Formats: sequence, C-alpha cells, structure tokens
Amino acid sequence: MPDLDGTLTALADPARRAVIDLLQREPRCSSALADALELTRPAMSRHLRVLRKAGLVEEASLEDDARVRVYRLRREPFAGLREWLDDVEGFWTDQLASFKRHAEAKAKRPRA
Amino acid sequence: MTFTADDPAVDQVRVSVLVAVPPDEAFRIFTEDIDLWWRRGLRYRIAAGRAGTIHLEAGVGGRLYEAFESGGDTQLTETGRVTAWDPPRRFVFEWRAVNFAPGETTEVEVAFEATASGTRVTVTHRGWNRIRADHPARHGMDAEGFLRTMGRWWGDLMGGLREFGAGRGG
Repeated sequence: MPDLDGTLTALADPARRAVIDLLQREPRCSSALADALELTRPAMSRHLRVLRKAGLVEEASLEDDARVRVYRLRREPFAGLREWLDDVEGFWTDQLASFKRHAEAKAKRPRA
Repeated sequence: MTFTADDPAVDQVRVSVLVAVPPDEAFRIFTEDIDLWWRRGLRYRIAAGRAGTIHLEAGVGGRLYEAFESGGDTQLTETGRVTAWDPPRRFVFEWRAVNFAPGETTEVEVAFEATASGTRVTVTHRGWNRIRADHPARHGMDAEGFLRTMGRWWGDLMGGLREFGAGRGG
C-alpha cells in the first residue's frame, strides 16, 4: 500500500515533480538531472534524497557500466495516483451515463 | 526556469459517451436539463440530501451553480462561469471545487460531434497543472476533500504517470 502522505510531501516541490517527469521517460544520473533542471548538484542531491526516502525513486546501475549510478522511478507509489485519476474519470463517466439515459428517454417521449 | 508541463495530454481527463439524439438536441438537453440528469448524492452535489438544484446559464459569462435551501435562505455555490459558448458544437466552463484556493481553477470542455447514430459527447477536464502545488493539503478536510486535493498536487503528473501506475505488475 503506497504511503500517500509521504508521496504528497515529496511531490509538494515543483523541482521534485520535474525530476519525476524526467525519470518517467528514462533513468538518469544525478548530474544529468541537475543540468536538465538548471539546479546545483547539491540541490539535486537533496531533492533526490527526499524522493528516495518517500520511495518514489531508487538508485540502480547501468547495465553496460555498473559504475554509473542512475535514478529510476519506482512503480508502486503511482498506483495511488492512478486511483485518484480513476476517481475523476469515474465522476464524469457516471455523469455522462446519467445524461445519456435522460436524453434518450426524453427523445423517445412525444413532444408537447 | 519553469517546471510547468504545457503538454495538454499530461494535464487532463477525457470521457466520451454516444447518445442517440442529434447534436443540437444533445446540446440543448445537456445544458437546459442539467439539473434533471446531474447525479444526486454528496459525490456530485453539495446539497446532497437537501433539496438543491443545479443551474447552467447560457452564454459566455453564464454561471454553473448549485442552489439549495439552508436555514430558510437560498444559498448559491458557484462552480464557475462559461468561457466559450458555441451551440451545438461545444461549450467551456471553469471548474472550481469548493476547497480550491482563490484564483485556482480548472476547465471543463464539453464537445458534441455528430455520428451516424446520434452524437458523441466528450467531456475534457483540464488545467490541473495550474493548481498551486504548495497549497495546504489536509487541513480540516474530509476524505472527499482530501481526495480532490490530491488531484491538485498530482495534476501535472497526469497522463504518462497514469499509464505507469496502471502497468504495475504487468
């Protein structure tokens, strides 16, 4: 079960959300992330530490070069996000189904 | 330096339904009859069990609001105003949940396209990345409010991450 509190706190910072956005495309090393977001390396290290403690990212080695440490997203916490998005989508799906029922029932009735 | 994702695909929820009536009629029923089809219950209405009505005023600047009786008075809660009105093709309105901070808003577009058997109605709810991310999240909020707030924090991660979350174990 993902810890939503920890996830939310970690994602409260726009720079950390930008890191997540970048890692969603591919794993990257800390310095590449710092360069991409125009942050200093110590600042990026701090952000990555928060993300790692929240369980959102993990460190890994590149397959072709074990000395290079990269960060990648962990999938588990984002299942919580999906639940929320499903909730928004479910809201509108329910509304449109209700609209369809009403509109089609009304169309069948003779006009006054 | 900006971190805002402008790609609309990562910033929206989209839902469609096919309705067996022509677009002009679908548009009219959707807007004029909104209180008749808008679902009841706390998930959809503020008034919930009390006698409340949903209103949508036609034209740009028109309001989407819920009216309900409270302590002998009629209270109005406005969700947002119409920003585009192009019957029978589309209309757009602002969407502010009751727990949004002042100035925070999202946008809902409703489009009506003719199909062979009637109309495809598509609702696109977007603009989540405009919601301030550092807004206090949980203070004094019930579970429903918290759920909606989560959308603000996570809004700009929509789309791709959604697929990512869905792929768990797959």
